[in-house]
Amino acid sequence: MDIRFEEAEARFEKRLILHPLTLSLSERRIGVIGLNGSGKTTFVRMINGLVTPSSGRVSVNGFDTIKDADRVRAETGFIFQNPQNQIILPILKEDIALGLKSRKLSRELTDAAVEAVLSRFGIAHLADRRAHELSGGELQLAALASVLVSKPGILIMDEPTNQLDLRNRNLVQFTIDGLEESVIVISHDLDLVADFDRLLLFHQGRLAADGNASDVISRYREIAA
Amino acid sequence: MRTLYVQGDSLLHRLSPRLKLLLLAGASVALFVVSSLPLLGIMAVCSAGLYAMLGLSLRDSWQRLRPILLTIVIVALFTLLVDTPVQAATVLLRLTSLMLLAAAITATTGIGAFIDEITWLALPLERLGLMKASDIGLSVGLVIRFVPEVLLRYISIRDAHYARGLKPRPLTLAVPMIILTLRSADEIAAAIDARGLRGQK
Repeated sequence: MDIRFEEAEARFEKRLILHPLTLSLSERRIGVIGLNGSGKTTFVRMINGLVTPSSGRVSVNGFDTIKDADRVRAETGFIFQNPQNQIILPILKEDIALGLKSRKLSRELTDAAVEAVLSRFGIAHLADRRAHELSGGELQLAALASVLVSKPGILIMDEPTNQLDLRNRNLVQFTIDGLEESVIVISHDLDLVADFDRLLLFHQGRLAADGNASDVISRYREIAA
Repeated sequence: MRTLYVQGDSLLHRLSPRLKLLLLAGASVALFVVSSLPLLGIMAVCSAGLYAMLGLSLRDSWQRLRPILLTIVIVALFTLLVDTPVQAATVLLRLTSLMLLAAAITATTGIGAFIDEITWLALPLERLGLMKASDIGLSVGLVIRFVPEVLLRYISIRDAHYARGLKPRPLTLAVPMIILTLRSADEIAAAIDARGLRGQK
């Protein structure tokens, strides 16, 4: 993974949401923490081009998030805060197959890929279920399957344990720990990111701390106090 | 998240989506060509029989069909006011038959299959360079997919009124519904972009 921000800033109308930022990310597991409204979501949305820099440049594995938007999105999967909105079609296997349409695979190959990704997350038995019938943890796993079926090398997750009970939260953590892909996780759940390779702390639209988990979490506790 | 699709293995479920859509188009034309009341009555009974094949309870059927049925009744009453009773009965039977046929097909066809068929139908437009067929398929699929979602949103806003001891009024229902629907549409559009689903060839 090679993500680069070069003096990249984000504005909404005239308001500066993220101050100019220069950094590169290459670690396998990166956590993003900060208070509400600190710029975390804008930061990760800039990585996959959902938010484009108003000045400066963001690139993913050498691809510019503006000029090569399609390629960047193929490289980066994104799990939203509310997985209900992530699942576009109501039946799980149909939704996962939707992500493969651009590859024009045969029906057999599509079915095999869908089955493989569902099995990978232990939810093959949910293939014919309707998304609204799934529990919070199952829904997160379904969202993961729907994104990872197209094999992005980088996965971005926005508060994946938000509103989950302890059992489902542990299930999601266990799943994240086992992922082969590089992951960038926004979370208010500090235990989830405590053993990540690198943490970024955002505060008032600026990168306030960047480094190993224990140092950055300590700084976050100071800010939040 | 709810769906209009009803799982099952009826004859309608097994028919190809393309054939079902073509039959629906043919039946629509026939319904508007025929003006004999007895014949329209027979067609309405046949449509009801087809819908009954889904095996839904009366309560479920009423919940699914109520909004459009009420609209049809309003249209028929308006026709009665401005035209003859025969004309009003004709409108009522035509639209009710059409509603039952369309509802039966929607209930027996997965949204994925709908998207595939609409995409196939739109391919000539893509060949003319007017638009991407897959975008049209996805748009139609999303409309079918989110109709029940909007109804659920209405119910939750109405219940929130009751919980606060307020009487639901059109304006106080419409404003939060529009805001919530637009916000949800934004998130879904972002998810579609993030998953690279738009502009697929």
